[in-house]
Amino acid sequence: MYRHWVVFVFCCFGELCADQNLKPQLAASQLATNNPTLTTIALEKPFCVFDNSLSPNESYIIYLYAMKGSAVAISSLVTDNSSKPLDSTFHQTRGGELGPYKAALFNVPNCASPPKLADVGNVNKAADVLKQYLFRVGDDGTCLYDPNFLGVCNPPLAPDTTYRFKYVLVESTGGIMKDQTLWSDPIKTRRVKLPLKIDTWPGRRSGSMIVITSIQSVLVFLLLAGLLAAVSSAVMRSEDASAETKHVSQSIQQSEPRPQLGSE
Amino acid sequence: MAKINDGIRILQGLLVFGNVIIGMCGIALTAECIFFVSDPHGLYPLLEATENDDIYAAAWIGIFVGFALFALSILGIVGVIKSNRTLLMVYIILMLITYAFEMASCITAATHQDFLTPNLFLKQMLERYNKSDTDNNNDKWMTEGVTKTWNKLMLQNQCCGVRGPSDWQEYTSAFRVTHNDADFPWPRNCCVMDAQGSPVNLDGCKLGVPGYYNSNGCYDAISGPMNTHAWGVAWFGFAILCWTFCVLLGTMFYWSRIDD
Repeated sequence: MYRHWVVFVFCCFGELCADQNLKPQLAASQLATNNPTLTTIALEKPFCVFDNSLSPNESYIIYLYAMKGSAVAISSLVTDNSSKPLDSTFHQTRGGELGPYKAALFNVPNCASPPKLADVGNVNKAADVLKQYLFRVGDDGTCLYDPNFLGVCNPPLAPDTTYRFKYVLVESTGGIMKDQTLWSDPIKTRRVKLPLKIDTWPGRRSGSMIVITSIQSVLVFLLLAGLLAAVSSAVMRSEDASAETKHVSQSIQQSEPRPQLGSE
Repeated sequence: MAKINDGIRILQGLLVFGNVIIGMCGIALTAECIFFVSDPHGLYPLLEATENDDIYAAAWIGIFVGFALFALSILGIVGVIKSNRTLLMVYIILMLITYAFEMASCITAATHQDFLTPNLFLKQMLERYNKSDTDNNNDKWMTEGVTKTWNKLMLQNQCCGVRGPSDWQEYTSAFRVTHNDADFPWPRNCCVMDAQGSPVNLDGCKLGVPGYYNSNGCYDAISGPMNTHAWGVAWFGFAILCWTFCVLLGTMFYWSRIDD
């Protein structure tokens, strides 16, 4: 407790206090564009964070603790009374609701030669770069339901929930906590929308449809009118023609008897 | 008298020319519509599942209308040259019926093209892709069609989703029911594949590392061919109808002027 106050004072004077001021960060967004997802969050590993606390003859492991943002009110302790880090699991803490759970352990990242992010474009180096640079919380979908699983289980997180993370530096011999970061800022997983809510109404009619329909309707009307006109003009002409032939035959009949009278 | 004769001759010549053009356009319409119905891009299952496949109905009508136009144009040429009133009346009546069908085809194609929006395909993709519990045979058929078509689309065009892979993250889907988000933020086909058909780097694909997943959407690959189809049927048909209108009016005038 006293040690913490001393370091806090140093920090206030802006001196190098990497371990206490740094928090776990999200992986670089140019690299991991799909982050956070519905059930996973990819965090940057703590590069050069604990270097002040490392002594050359000891070996260390880093523990990653995760808890839901709402669990702050219940408990945010990661160590017990004897400075040993807690061994809580996802299942015991109900997914981080009741307090922090241990999500992972890995070796201290190499500060002297960190992975070059540009190397991820090289197919052969990409897997190594990703493994060295970041850690994906929520990656393992099967360990929670596998009774034979013995390692540290890292099950998928809950959607639309804020989580906070903390890195803890632990000595391998003795298992005592040496150093820890602050709790990260709250990071929220995605929320999904229902596809039912997607509006498929196309909006107003397009211009081409209006043009085609209106012009074609007018043309069909003109065609039918033309047909009617042609048929009716033909009918009228045939009536005129039949009236004319009747008139002509009547005048021929009238003119015919006279020459007969003349000849007799 | 000679002047009227000349006028009739000129009208005859114009009508024959007009009918020749109609015949050729009819064959072209048939060929174009057969091409569209044959679905070279394999997108028909998507339309069938949206139950909005009327641009295909318009193309089917176009096939038969094109052939009818060709046959009727020959009848028209014979009727005009022989100046036979009966033949020409039959020609006019049948042409009017064909005109009505072609008008229906154009209007259908133009109207239904308006319904093909990104949201329509997005909703269908989310509700049908890899759906596991299908209700009946029809549902199963459409689901299989959609799944196969999307798999092929994503592989061939190196695309993912309708607007992008974020479609799979923003919405819940039938795919999400059977494939959890941690292992499958999006379908495997959205990953860049190597020559053997497996992802180049699976973790890179899941994290969204540029170069290991397809970041552009498939909507262009879908809407391009469909728009060509709809516009081809609607506007070529419209052009044919405008020309046929003139020829028909001329034929009606010619019919009313000749004696039997």
